[in-house]
Amino acid sequence: MECSFGITGKDYVLLASDMSAGRSILQFKSDENKIKELGPHLAMAYGGEPGDTNNFADYIERNMRLYHIRHHHALLPHAASSWIRRSLADSIRSRRPYSVNLLLAGFDTTDDTPHLYWIDYLGTKAVVPYAAHGMGMHVSLSTMDKYWHPNQDRRDGVDVLKKAIAEAQHRLSIKFTFNAIIIDKDGIHTVDLAAEDPIGKIEAEKAAKAEAEAAAAAAAAAPPAAAPEASAPVAAAA
Amino acid sequence: MDTLVAQLAPSRRGDEGSSSTAEWANNGYGNLDASGAVAGMDVPGVPDPLAFLSMHTDSMSTNPQAKIKLAHGTTTLAFRFKGGIIVAVDSRATAGSYIASGTVKKVIEINPYLLGTMAGGAADCQYWETYLGMQCRLHELRNKERISVAAASKILSNLVYQYKGMGLSMGTMICGWDKTGPALFYVDSDGQRLKGDLFSVGSGSTFAYGVLDQGYKWDLSDEEAQELGRRSIVAAGHRDAYSGNTVNLFHVRENGWEFIKNYDLSELWYEYEEKKKADLAAASAAAAGGVPIDVE
Amino acid sequence: MALFAASAQQEAVAAPIQHRFDPYEDNGGTILSIAGADFSVIAGDTRQSQGYNIQTRYARKVWQLTDKVVLATNGFAADGANFVKKVKQRLEWYENAHQKQMSIKSIARMIQTMLYAKRFFPYYVYNILGGIEEDGTGAVYSFDPVGSYEREACRAAGAAQSLIQPFLDNQIYFRNQTFPADQPKPIPGNLPLGTVLGLVIDSFTSATERHIEVGDGLEMYVVMAKGRAVDDLTSKGALPEGVVVEELGPLGEGGGERTFLVRRTLKRD
Repeated sequence: MECSFGITGKDYVLLASDMSAGRSILQFKSDENKIKELGPHLAMAYGGEPGDTNNFADYIERNMRLYHIRHHHALLPHAASSWIRRSLADSIRSRRPYSVNLLLAGFDTTDDTPHLYWIDYLGTKAVVPYAAHGMGMHVSLSTMDKYWHPNQDRRDGVDVLKKAIAEAQHRLSIKFTFNAIIIDKDGIHTVDLAAEDPIGKIEAEKAAKAEAEAAAAAAAAAPPAAAPEASAPVAAAA
Repeated sequence: MDTLVAQLAPSRRGDEGSSSTAEWANNGYGNLDASGAVAGMDVPGVPDPLAFLSMHTDSMSTNPQAKIKLAHGTTTLAFRFKGGIIVAVDSRATAGSYIASGTVKKVIEINPYLLGTMAGGAADCQYWETYLGMQCRLHELRNKERISVAAASKILSNLVYQYKGMGLSMGTMICGWDKTGPALFYVDSDGQRLKGDLFSVGSGSTFAYGVLDQGYKWDLSDEEAQELGRRSIVAAGHRDAYSGNTVNLFHVRENGWEFIKNYDLSELWYEYEEKKKADLAAASAAAAGGVPIDVE
Repeated sequence: MALFAASAQQEAVAAPIQHRFDPYEDNGGTILSIAGADFSVIAGDTRQSQGYNIQTRYARKVWQLTDKVVLATNGFAADGANFVKKVKQRLEWYENAHQKQMSIKSIARMIQTMLYAKRFFPYYVYNILGGIEEDGTGAVYSFDPVGSYEREACRAAGAAQSLIQPFLDNQIYFRNQTFPADQPKPIPGNLPLGTVLGLVIDSFTSATERHIEVGDGLEMYVVMAKGRAVDDLTSKGALPEGVVVEELGPLGEGGGERTFLVRRTLKRD
């Protein structure tokens, strides 16, 4: 009943997931976010047994945060994938295992490489250039096989993702709505799949943010003519 | 030295499951242990407790030969709108095909500003939502402020998640008003917890959705919203044999919940049918008149 | 010797014995409770059976717990007896700790937690609790085997539940009865004691006629609120022929409530 995709490119990785949540024949929600941000450059799309999914995702999220706090830097994608895989491998050998499948996507800022991992509830891990979980595995992998090529740029990546999603919408009897993110050197950005040019939109947002930050930095660096008393203690200390 | 430590140290949580009934009962807190956690849940000494439980109990009318027939609830709904939250439920409990009760309170008043609904096992909902009420009160005493609906619903979902796979059956909506405004969460015994604007749970929920989805919008007036909740339960009670008897209607506003009324479901259904007939007659009379009368 | 041991071991491996753990039994019988404005009647028959076999013609199903609370149990007699034993034990501890008897609403909540503590290994017992509330009104609480409960005006449980409850719905809740315009529908739970006892007796004699697991004897516990006149129970001619009344002495300090045990025979065939 669920469907998620991941696609890597030259300097980014895309992650998309359906947004349905329900019980037996009923769909309760079509706007549930099933992509979890695990760090500044790491996220996962998860699915599986209801209840287990959220509990496991929260567990991973909190541990990633804890690592970040303790070591002052986040776990790199490869290390995170090993830790998450190990958690599931331990779980499957426990009395009550988690039934959670996930796609882990990250961007390694030390060597500027995108990473995508396909992980299932058995603790199987595969390093892949593109991947699908759930119903998408059956219908959209061939689509991605045909249209994906290495080092493609963002717009081509989004096009492949849109094709994969379109195939799932077309061939599966369930109607899905999808949300997507893209991870690059600047972090995680939401991808507006309905937008005319999703990448252009993100670039514009990034540019606007950079401009605002530059303006704020300039204001901070300018001589404090307006508030001389504010700098007085600093001067005294100096 | 070790024996001294063992004597003085408080016993670990894991050990208390094996403590005798007398030990925890002596504290006088029902079956809660000294730290306020649930203790003394007895489990049969068989390899598969769930198989044992499902062989002997019938919690969802799926195992008719089982001796122990547990009461269970059936159609419940709640939705958020500009005037707060409407909660409407039926009052039928069935054990197999027998109507065990027609006066069940499926809205559990957790405290003056939180409501929980009951679908699935009646005892599971009643017991754990009562326990949730205690935890909410403790939160107030510890933090000097009311618990958010999100936090309250998470206490419940974490609780039942601990018992996942043991045979609990509950599908509940936690409704309340907190700093964020009206808030509604669906929590079930799978451990699933969803935030949303509109939910219906139980065997009659499909029929309730049929009316609810068609009439729902955010800008409903209080009267319209109450009528929509009421009408949806009547629709479910009419189509689903496991739902019926009476409708209980609640309205959650900023200053807490209010019980609106208990309605006889059959009487409401006849009222709706009469109104439908009258409207139809009025419409055909207007049509027969040829020219609309109120057009100048 | 070695050979024998080996073959024995082999045998054990070859045919693993599977045990079905089936610790439950249905011992039939029926219980019933009706609340009045200032009294409560809790009744049960005394037959205990196992399939078509009658184990005994006198087994208790109704138990006096405190001066104003009586508990009726039905289902698996062994679980019922054990459960009542544990309830009484808890009540004794409470009385020793607080120097007073537990109120009916507290007993009801306690029974919920005690039943729910065995949620995963339930007592096969349907409980009905009857007695006097702290405000002096008659009360009935009914439970499912794992502790969901509700206060009601009346409740029947057990083998003849489906025979008796519809009758009670009609006579106590006035279901499907129409009243003339000048006479409003009465509020349930306010019938006089004589009427209530009549309904209880009729329920059980009728159930005895049509249900094989009901019969032999009828025990009706009547709990009277403090200060209530008891002449509608004890005066000559108040009750029908063949009905015996006995007052049960107070169990504790005695808060003024009075409990009577009213017995009658039922058909024994």
